[in-house]
Amino acid sequence: MSSTAAAGAIDHHHDPSTTTGIPNKKLLMWAFLASDCMFFGCLISTHLIYRLHPPPGTPIARQVFSIELTSFSTFILLMSSLMMALAVNAIQKGNLKSLRWSLVTTILFGCIFLGCQVYEFRNFVFEKHLTITNSILGTTFFTLTGTHGLHVLIGVIWLTGMLIYSFTGRLSEKDAIDVEMMGLYWHFVDIVWIVIFTAVYLLEYI
Amino acid sequence: MSAPATSDHAAGHEQEQSKFWIFVQLAMLLAVITGLELVTVYLPFMKWILVTVLVVLSTVKFMFVIFYFMHLRWDKAFCTILFFIGLVLASGTMWALLKLFSAEASKPLTMAEPPAIVLRVA
Repeated sequence: MSSTAAAGAIDHHHDPSTTTGIPNKKLLMWAFLASDCMFFGCLISTHLIYRLHPPPGTPIARQVFSIELTSFSTFILLMSSLMMALAVNAIQKGNLKSLRWSLVTTILFGCIFLGCQVYEFRNFVFEKHLTITNSILGTTFFTLTGTHGLHVLIGVIWLTGMLIYSFTGRLSEKDAIDVEMMGLYWHFVDIVWIVIFTAVYLLEYI
Repeated sequence: MSAPATSDHAAGHEQEQSKFWIFVQLAMLLAVITGLELVTVYLPFMKWILVTVLVVLSTVKFMFVIFYFMHLRWDKAFCTILFFIGLVLASGTMWALLKLFSAEASKPLTMAEPPAIVLRVA
């Protein structure tokens, strides 16, 4: 453990300097995530509404989807969430070495998830002939999962930036809030996928 | 370092160690629940039962992630309230839209029953 941690414990959950007792950065991130909930809520609703009444000629979703690949992606994203939680735990203890390993693993899992999504999209477009313009299913599916994929990509870029920053020597236990904010964003991406996995993929198999 | 400071430090260290194991065990639990979800869709039960099971399982996963991985359990209650405002609004919007569009009157004309022809005799 670092000398900072040994000298006096930092309370990472409360900040007496703000009126709410919550660090302002954390409050900002929670407010953003609450608004993002509504954004994804609308995208998921749109997809489900069009699935309720598919127009004639709509491809059969369960013949297009690959549940094995999606389950693997889900598992990978869950494990990336674990590594992110460990990264936050590590910086709160001032353990930079552990933080870096956790960040590298999270980035790796994030890239695997994105790779799976690119493979899935290519497969849908070139093999199953499902594009964003040729059917309602394609439009709502690619818009929803593509927006989620974009969130993952932003998360991976943010994580990579934080990893590089950790080598400059300016990141310490007192900056744990920055890593925690990034962690909140990453976990949010995970919970959105939990909903998408059930609402978009699994429900098609019932 | 004084004795109370040392004991505080030890308690903090213990809490952090226990958090580590909580996270690892939770990740394993989430993986198991995902496996259960996958098995559920192939079970020969009525559709509404399967949908309910899937919704409950994904809600459990969702709650575990936000309360443990996202530290809501250890943070001030205001963070939970703030996030749940967005979550309730989003869920309410989804519920309302799905109810609205699942009504008979909202079916697209190409799928709905053809309207009855009413002859008006002058």
